[in-house]
Amino acid sequence: MRVFFATDIHGSETCWRKFLNSGTHYKADVLILGGDMTGKALVPVIDDGNGHWHGTLQEQRRDLHGDDEVKAFELDVIRRGYYPFRTTPDELAELEADSERLDELFHSHMLGTVERWMQMAEEKLAGQPQRMFVCPGNDDQFEVDDILAAARRVELAEGRVVDIDGFQMASTGWANPTPWHTYREEPEDVLLERIRSVTSQLTAPPERTILNLHCPPHGSGLDDAPGLDEDLKPKHGGHAPEPVGSTAVREAIEETRPVLSLHGHIHEARGHTRIGPTLCINPGSAYEQGDLMGALIELNGKKVKNFVLTSG
Amino acid sequence: MAAADTPMERTMFVRKATGLVKGWSVFDAFIYSAFAINLMALGFGYAFTGIAVFPEAGLIAAIVLSGLFIIFEVLTYASLIAVMPRAGGDYVWQSRVFGGGIGFVLAATGWWFILWHWVPIYANIMIIEFIQPILNVLGKNGTGTFDAAWWNPVHGTGIFIASLATAVIAAVAVSIGMRNYARFQKWCFYGAMAGLVIMLALFLFHSKADFASAFNKQTDIFGSHDPNAYAKTVAAGHAAGVDYKGFGAFPLKATFLLIPFMLFYNLWPNWGATLYGEVRGASDFRKNIYAMGGALVFTTIVVVITFAAMAHAMGFNFYGILSGEYWAAVTKAPTYWFPYPGMLAAMFIGNGFFQVVFLLLLSLWFFGWAGSVFLSSTRMIFAAAFDRILPEWAAKVDDRTHVPIAALLLMLVPSIPISYLYAYNSSFYGYTLDATVVIAITYFGTTLSAIVLPWRRREIYQASPIAKYELAGIPLVTIAGVIFGGFLAFCGYKWFSDDSYGINHSNSLKYMAVLYVIAIAIYVISRVVRRREGIDLAMINSEIPVE
Repeated sequence: MRVFFATDIHGSETCWRKFLNSGTHYKADVLILGGDMTGKALVPVIDDGNGHWHGTLQEQRRDLHGDDEVKAFELDVIRRGYYPFRTTPDELAELEADSERLDELFHSHMLGTVERWMQMAEEKLAGQPQRMFVCPGNDDQFEVDDILAAARRVELAEGRVVDIDGFQMASTGWANPTPWHTYREEPEDVLLERIRSVTSQLTAPPERTILNLHCPPHGSGLDDAPGLDEDLKPKHGGHAPEPVGSTAVREAIEETRPVLSLHGHIHEARGHTRIGPTLCINPGSAYEQGDLMGALIELNGKKVKNFVLTSG
Repeated sequence: MAAADTPMERTMFVRKATGLVKGWSVFDAFIYSAFAINLMALGFGYAFTGIAVFPEAGLIAAIVLSGLFIIFEVLTYASLIAVMPRAGGDYVWQSRVFGGGIGFVLAATGWWFILWHWVPIYANIMIIEFIQPILNVLGKNGTGTFDAAWWNPVHGTGIFIASLATAVIAAVAVSIGMRNYARFQKWCFYGAMAGLVIMLALFLFHSKADFASAFNKQTDIFGSHDPNAYAKTVAAGHAAGVDYKGFGAFPLKATFLLIPFMLFYNLWPNWGATLYGEVRGASDFRKNIYAMGGALVFTTIVVVITFAAMAHAMGFNFYGILSGEYWAAVTKAPTYWFPYPGMLAAMFIGNGFFQVVFLLLLSLWFFGWAGSVFLSSTRMIFAAAFDRILPEWAAKVDDRTHVPIAALLLMLVPSIPISYLYAYNSSFYGYTLDATVVIAITYFGTTLSAIVLPWRRREIYQASPIAKYELAGIPLVTIAGVIFGGFLAFCGYKWFSDDSYGINHSNSLKYMAVLYVIAIAIYVISRVVRRREGIDLAMINSEIPVE
């Protein structure tokens, strides 16, 4: 069985489109998206009147004239993984003062995009043999699960064991606590219970078992992120990485001893390592550049026959 | 939810999400760059003594002019980081633009193999800027075992021991991890700067007469007891027929010839490059320029000030004469000095204890930097192992200690026999002069990838915060790359065509060729083996269609 795994595309339309094409490109049987599929930022496109607009992307202001230029700018925003929205200076001022409205705007864009992506998947993968699994991550709000569960071509993997060609995969996108207090994070002991509640459903032998846990195991090198001070600034110019992974995830891997364990969450910690007999992989993420980082893994039922990290 | 900071109008709203860190400190990144273009270890430890080879050149002009060209290196690398921020260095940039084969060969030679050869070079600097000055002021100046003269770099066992010590220091730096090493390096920077300030004060507050007197007295330490040593050294310089130019001299042709020597010290500001966090843009590009460029400008200014202070105390030409004496261009001088400004300034301090404290502070320029000889190499080895070019075990990290054992051994083990050959085989010593050249070739490869980046990886480039920076319709990254690439090409041409740099001899070139052949062989074997296993390495960087 040939698996292609990618993760943390954070609203990047380019990465999602590439992911949909990855089965054909890499001749993979199964596609797995490991979580954090929603974007992190809203970008206002502001109406200056008389067909003139402006917006700022990557700290560079762009003055836009006419609908074509506005659309082109919105496309650039979408490619980068952000959500554009058209507004007026007055509305923008109101939005700044109204966090509830801002929340609603975020939710509608995030969920609307995921819905559109599911439709895209249905059209793109029609007639193709690959199965596609998506497991939301700690940055994805809970409503994403409902959209994925309702999708026809994509299978929701969160909190359950799925059978794939004689293998079983147990998944969760929950993580240990982060400084950002995201949607799906909890203390290590609670997280361990959550993972165990899923892995206890496994019936396949370890050599036919895959763990798909968004958070990487602690101290594996797949969890090295720049150390932060109390103000969330990287210490030592970002040159001093610290392990921020989950001890619960590590314990779960050591208990289950699966042939393969798939992770994401820490974008800069691209790599692979072994914990006991388990090959652990974090392909990393470069979603803002539209570069789909991934891992192509071939399993033969006894071991990982081969694997390679990709940058597509 | 939180709003991104802008003073006038919200240009972006960000929500609670992992990884949204605030901006990193330019000053921290500046420290890494300043240590990398190490004015004391690399500048005064070797590069500036190149004036002995081109005495008719303007040393200060060469330092400033080379710095101006290196600004374009800063622009080139800051651009690459802005376009591919998490790529992690030359290997990945080249691989993404030209393919894995070119990327691996240039990075393995420039970031792995050649750094084995830097171990004895680092050791050489440790001897002339730490061991010998300390032994001198302690009065251990004889030729007996472990006395100062015994450590002369031409002496086999001394340089071999220092090489082993350097390898151990670098191995410890890798073992304690970047977090601890970064903390250590920061403290070293403060100590080293304190030493530098004291040194400048010593030069500025003493006259030429003070210096001549202190220099003459210092010959007692070396056992030559010559009350006219300063005058005789100046006379020896004149007798050798060398006419060193003044502080502000700028003879164009000769100065350009001296510039390839300067690269030994100022080619490396990109070691401080960094980029973390998301959802920002052009400001991070500018911050990298401020950090790397700031370190380059700061270092250049400090070097010029240091030379001005030295000129005040001992005469500018005297530095050239001492350099000439050291490299045997000027002979019959009464002493055999390496023109280490720390030792020259220490002569003004009457008290042995304070001399030692002063020299220890200055030695932090070396110790805060010594770990770098292995640190970046281990990252390159990891990246190649993740791309399956090297075996999986090359990226193995010990579960208990978190030490990257295999990568460390791949650096440490070969460095020992190479240090042995350097110490005991006189012709092998010449091969290590290629150390800068091989890395410069790797940088040249990266520069070429930067030049063509807007066309070779159009999508990624267009999505980057630097896509708008252009001049007459030509992308800034391409312009910066062409200028820096041209500069490297000029230096490369001189290195390979002019005997003055000591590199242009057939054995040295053959040795370099062997390094490249080894890298090519590893890549080809790896590709064949992986293909048999069912992995096509060409697939790693093949772009998936978007539509």
